[in-house]
Amino acid sequence: MPAETHVEKGPLDRRQIFELIRDQLADILEIEPSAISESASFAEDLDADSLALIELVEALEEEFGERTVGFRIEDEDLEDLRTVRDAVDYVAAKLGAG
Amino acid sequence: MGGDRAPGEIVAGALLAVAELQVPVVLVGRRDALGDTGGLEVIEASESIAMDEDAAQSVRRKKDSSLVRAAEAVRDGRAMAMVSAGNTGAAMASALLRMGRLSGVVRPAIATPIPNPGSHPTVLLDAGANAECTAAMLVQFARMGATYSSARYGVDEPTVALLSIGEEKSKGTSIVKEAHTELSVAAGLRFVGNVEGRDLLHGAADVVVTDGFTGNVALKTLEGSLRFFMDALIEVLGRDEETKRAADVLLPHLAPLASEFDPDNTGGAMLLGIDGVCVISHGSSSARAIVSAVRVAHEVAVAGLVGQVARAVASDRSPA
Repeated sequence: MPAETHVEKGPLDRRQIFELIRDQLADILEIEPSAISESASFAEDLDADSLALIELVEALEEEFGERTVGFRIEDEDLEDLRTVRDAVDYVAAKLGAG
Repeated sequence: MGGDRAPGEIVAGALLAVAELQVPVVLVGRRDALGDTGGLEVIEASESIAMDEDAAQSVRRKKDSSLVRAAEAVRDGRAMAMVSAGNTGAAMASALLRMGRLSGVVRPAIATPIPNPGSHPTVLLDAGANAECTAAMLVQFARMGATYSSARYGVDEPTVALLSIGEEKSKGTSIVKEAHTELSVAAGLRFVGNVEGRDLLHGAADVVVTDGFTGNVALKTLEGSLRFFMDALIEVLGRDEETKRAADVLLPHLAPLASEFDPDNTGGAMLLGIDGVCVISHGSSSARAIVSAVRVAHEVAVAGLVGQVARAVASDRSPA
């Protein structure tokens, strides 16, 4: 990987990505992290509306942007992110995580 | 840049606010669209969010919009507060995404004053930010609304009521009934029970809580009813020489009452639960309405409303 795309934090595995997303989502929704599973649907299970999802996206861009310069979740991809697993898979693919 | 009469009336209001209130005002928008700004500082913003645009998506896509830049100015300490007469949802989204939610706040709420002639206004929230709410959110609205009532109107230990379809605690939706139970035992709140829509103008409580859908319907119904009545009254009083003579007698007595209901004087609605002051003025705001909104924004910012709301929310951290 070119050095300029990475900052000082180490690479993340899939489990760590899930935990970061889970913790951000728990903070946004004011619920316990333990209430968020990978299979949880944003709308049906977690009652997360579009504004909450935008909050999540912007928080993830800030979080992961510290690890990979230029990390961005494309607006046209947002509607495909329906579950926590979708978000984890998306970020993992973007980061090239295992 | 937002509002039916922007930017002209907004700029005029800003200039009046500086002159009358001695409050420094910064304009946010496209410099070439603002006209004569009278030397006021301008934060350049090349984009604006229209009234009919999706709130969350527009804030994300238009990062150089006047709403987003205004919220950033408050976040970064360039301004004590922001005032907008534009897209209410986008104003809330901008404030939420840029200033952030106060710790523990599930969702910010829009608090709007309902005139109570001869006394301080009743604070109604949520007036439109959250169409659907949980009981825990309504309890949180109660805490934020009570804090606002104290800070804005100097009310000592504000009374809190729940808007429902009957006074009995058995009335209302399942969420309302659950909220009634939780409010009844909530520490630090003076819960006085349910009130109905017809009670809103009678000062039945200092704070009335409801979900955003119901609150917005109630607010617009009140506005429409009052406007209809005023239009009908003016038509009757101007009908013939006899009614005009009656108007000469009545109008001086009615003027103070009319002033309490004049939207130019209410100072707009306050977004509670975010880490900053955001006043949402009516979409048809005149220059005078902007002056009122600036006055309120300045007053609550100086009074430390945000810190007070944060402490009130921290006193009850029940999860949604």
